[in-house]
Amino acid sequence: MTTEQTQTDVALAALEQRAAEIEAKLHHEVRTLLDTWEAKKASYEGEHYTYTVRGKEIKVKNHTESLAHTRVPKIALPKFQDWGEIVRWCMQENVPGEFPYTAGVYPFKRTSEDPTRMFAGEGGPERTNKRFHYLSLGMPAVRLSTAFDSVTLYGEDPDHRPDIYGKIGNSGVSIASLDDAKKLYSGFDLCSPTTSVSMTINGPAPMLLAFFMNAAIDQECERVIKERGLEADVSAKIDAMYAERGMPRPVYRHGDGSTELPEGNTGLGLIILGVTGNQVLDAETYAECKQRALQNVRGTVQADILKEDQAQNTCIFSTEFALRMMGDVQKYFIDEKVRNFYSVSISGYHIAEAGANPITQLAFTLANGFTFVEYYLSRGMHIDDFAPNLSFFFSNGVDPEYSVIGRVARKIWAKAMKHKYGGNERSQMLKYHIQTSGRSLHAQEIDFNDIRTSLQALYAIYDNCNSLHTNAYDEAITTPTEESVRRAVAIQLIINRELGLAKNENPIQGSFIIEELTDLVEEAVYTEFRRITERGGVLGAMENMYQRNKIQEESLYYETLKHTGEYPIVGVNTFLSSKGSPTVIPAEVIRSTTDEREQQISNVRAVQTRNGKTTTDALDMLRKTAVMNGNIFEALMEAAKVCSLGQMTNALYEVGGQYRRNM
Amino acid sequence: MQSPAPYTPSTKVRVVTAASLFDGHDAAINVMRRIIQATGCEVIHLGHNRSVREVVECAIQEDAQAIAMTSYQGGHVEYLTYMRQLLDERGAHHIRIFAGGGGTILPSEIEQLHTNGITRVYSPDDGRAMGLQGMINDLVQKSDYVTPVTDASSLHDRVRAKDPMAIAQAISCAERGEHDVIDFAKHVKRAPVLGITGTGGAGKSSLTDELVRRFLLDHTDKTIAVISVDPSKRKTGGALLGDRIRMNAVSDPRVYMRSFATREANVALNPHVRDAINILSYAEYDVIIVETAGIGQSDSQITELADVAMYVMTPEFGAATQLEKIDMIDYADVIALNKFDKRGALDALRDVRKQYQRSRQLFSQSIDEMPVYGTIASQFNDPGANTLYRVINDLLVKKCLLAWTSSYTVSNEMSEKIYIIPPDRIRYLAEIVENNKRYDAFVDEQADIARTLWKLRGAIEHLQQ
Repeated sequence: MTTEQTQTDVALAALEQRAAEIEAKLHHEVRTLLDTWEAKKASYEGEHYTYTVRGKEIKVKNHTESLAHTRVPKIALPKFQDWGEIVRWCMQENVPGEFPYTAGVYPFKRTSEDPTRMFAGEGGPERTNKRFHYLSLGMPAVRLSTAFDSVTLYGEDPDHRPDIYGKIGNSGVSIASLDDAKKLYSGFDLCSPTTSVSMTINGPAPMLLAFFMNAAIDQECERVIKERGLEADVSAKIDAMYAERGMPRPVYRHGDGSTELPEGNTGLGLIILGVTGNQVLDAETYAECKQRALQNVRGTVQADILKEDQAQNTCIFSTEFALRMMGDVQKYFIDEKVRNFYSVSISGYHIAEAGANPITQLAFTLANGFTFVEYYLSRGMHIDDFAPNLSFFFSNGVDPEYSVIGRVARKIWAKAMKHKYGGNERSQMLKYHIQTSGRSLHAQEIDFNDIRTSLQALYAIYDNCNSLHTNAYDEAITTPTEESVRRAVAIQLIINRELGLAKNENPIQGSFIIEELTDLVEEAVYTEFRRITERGGVLGAMENMYQRNKIQEESLYYETLKHTGEYPIVGVNTFLSSKGSPTVIPAEVIRSTTDEREQQISNVRAVQTRNGKTTTDALDMLRKTAVMNGNIFEALMEAAKVCSLGQMTNALYEVGGQYRRNM
Repeated sequence: MQSPAPYTPSTKVRVVTAASLFDGHDAAINVMRRIIQATGCEVIHLGHNRSVREVVECAIQEDAQAIAMTSYQGGHVEYLTYMRQLLDERGAHHIRIFAGGGGTILPSEIEQLHTNGITRVYSPDDGRAMGLQGMINDLVQKSDYVTPVTDASSLHDRVRAKDPMAIAQAISCAERGEHDVIDFAKHVKRAPVLGITGTGGAGKSSLTDELVRRFLLDHTDKTIAVISVDPSKRKTGGALLGDRIRMNAVSDPRVYMRSFATREANVALNPHVRDAINILSYAEYDVIIVETAGIGQSDSQITELADVAMYVMTPEFGAATQLEKIDMIDYADVIALNKFDKRGALDALRDVRKQYQRSRQLFSQSIDEMPVYGTIASQFNDPGANTLYRVINDLLVKKCLLAWTSSYTVSNEMSEKIYIIPPDRIRYLAEIVENNKRYDAFVDEQADIARTLWKLRGAIEHLQQ
């Protein structure tokens, strides 16, 4: 016994010593991870989970109950015993809301609003406004997503010239002035924390953003006018101004001539239509309204010029000039404390729509994102002042990689932000919007498209996307109808509200295949980063059209496999109906009416001329600011009050250069 | 489906290709134009977002037989009908219009467009039935005709009046060898000619565009013609005439532009460029730019035609000894070292200047006086391009004894790239990879340590029991 005891003691001593040596190598933060592991697990097991956001304590129920009275945890944690596994999991996966944010950037999903964002845009601003009110009627939160017509997308004004005329108000809404923007969002409180507006615009994004911001500022001015009971005074003032010009006051008016506001539209935003707040209020009050509006507006503007040059082609200015304006917008946001508006939506969607596979989509998009980071840093902005204003936008198709696209993106971003750029937690959190893949919808057997969209939406929701747009099944052939859009919304609602597993908020964590795919995709993205570096970074690679060519090659590969049938598509190249699943031709396509187009043209003509010298002065100031290297967005905020979109675009061409197309 | 053999056109068919206004979808038209080229046609490709006026004026100036458009963004009925109308208004009834837009163009609209004078709108079903080559064969066959001369007897008057269609038709007569029709231009006093040549990818067309833009700003009453020559493919006889896509300034009414294919292998110039210069001189253009693709030895042909010859190259020519092989350094009046933002640009500038000095034995002059200029054509209002413009303007005035007054002021600054990403930050993506991998390695190491510690603690516990 004594010998045995001694031997054991010797062994124990040796082990203790070895353990002490090893423990010394354990990083203190890793030590903390291990020490707090049990407590962390326990925090998800009790009735509530408590955390703080911007100083506010939030209490969330940890479980939901099924019909069978099963308590389904919102966050399920691993049952690991091995400390190595615990360390690895905490450092590479972790719970949602904790670095590296692989499972999500917030501890829990918002319960107050579904991540539903609905895309609309057609005809003039009045028609789209009506559609917006229809879509958001009875919804607790208003999440508007605006599609602009191609005239607007290219920064021009509506005109009778037939090659322009045919495009006014088709496949998007026609917005050419501040008046148009005010009508478009009228009746929605743009400064309310439950309103969020997204604008799909790139080349002329700074101008459209200036319209939007001014619309929000003027809504604040209207609020003050009402509070102080100045409505009649102000109205008389505006009447006088227009009488002097010999012009009628602009009005909210539908194509059919009716001026009735749609259900839900309170008229907010229309009280001072035709003028701006600074013309009817004293300077001090106006400045207060402006500050309040800028600090409260919530939303996103796409404004991603890199992906335009790589994939989508709605570039209008030279790339360098466009980037400079993006930098100016961000600088303005920092100076004016615009905190809740994303200055750019770094988009992979269009890269994927142009034919890129999911890995290329993710790699190019993240690379573009880091390019903006480097550019803004080089302009002297602080990482934590702008990184939280960046957002991302991906497509979700049916490819396997789409099941992990969000988690890989979050992980790569967080690691780079924390350790390379020294960004704070808000900077480390990559937030993204998903739209289901339009390219994966087909013009044959269009009823099947909802099935594809449902699966893609499931990928997105399981992967904890921050917002989601589900495509309507008829998008492959026409502009979606109210009926098809309703079905598309239903897809999301069914997953969020009916599907039991979706009550859990980390359903894919811990799956062997998800972990394997995450590693594979992460590695593939790094390989692509190295390829881009060899070509001189994102901009260097663009000069040689590397991204364009790669996207085209991948598109061709897909088309070839689809053609040969090696890549099966049900109802398209396999499982055809007895009639051969012919292409569905739409009975009619929704187009803007002649009245709407004429109204847009006469309205923009009025805007172009009604302010006389103020307009030409603002345009001169805009050009001068660009030449003198001032902040162009600051000048646009003023010009947008009195100029049309086309006027501003053409003034900037003279001082910034037009986009030069590539072969 | 068996793809049909490419149709063999009996005439030189020239086709203008583009995507419609406010429409960025250029994938389909790029596929189509490649097949059109491979079917032996000369394609003048304009790319995406083109207005009807731009396309129509291009087709007329280029004397094309056909226009092939894609439209995926709606408004196609108005767009294409307007195109027919504008062509007809300008007397170009013969120019055929072809179009496609996938499912966005409804069958009823196709019918309407055919009634409105669009030769053919191809639907997705046509694509499936005919195949791509089948569609292109149909298009080329319908465009396989000799473009007309509207009225030969008044041609010279209309050329003199700078009627773009008359000029285009006169040049085509030259190309077809119908020299009697253009006899009027034979003994004309030639307009000043600026010859531009250079290596492929050096940015010739961008730089030409920048010079045209500055010329138009500087001389508000003067006109300019641009002739650009690209090589024909020996195998198919087709050619991609791709200079116009880069040229934003040529849509100005004071500009006429004509693209040539060499139509013969191994030459840099089409033999009929000389005729074209005469015709444009007869039309009294104030200056003519001739831009040719650089294909080595025959580059210097341009100097025989040009009053002032410019050579465009980039700093990426390799070792300085390579410069000794470039004939054009010996002949050019001016050299533009474009893409001056590339690495080693300043060394390259010195090397090219030295070679220029050596080739002309100008050792008594300072090397800085050699007419070699660094430019960045891709950069708006580039100071190097400003200087280059002014130098060329002054050379033309001097050599051709012109009475021009230029008010174009230059700062004599060196071209300097305004960097979006500073050059020393260019490895940012690789650095991110390194950073993230470093983190991963740290996780691996710590996980191993934790596991070992866990095992040791387990063993200790076990022994203690």
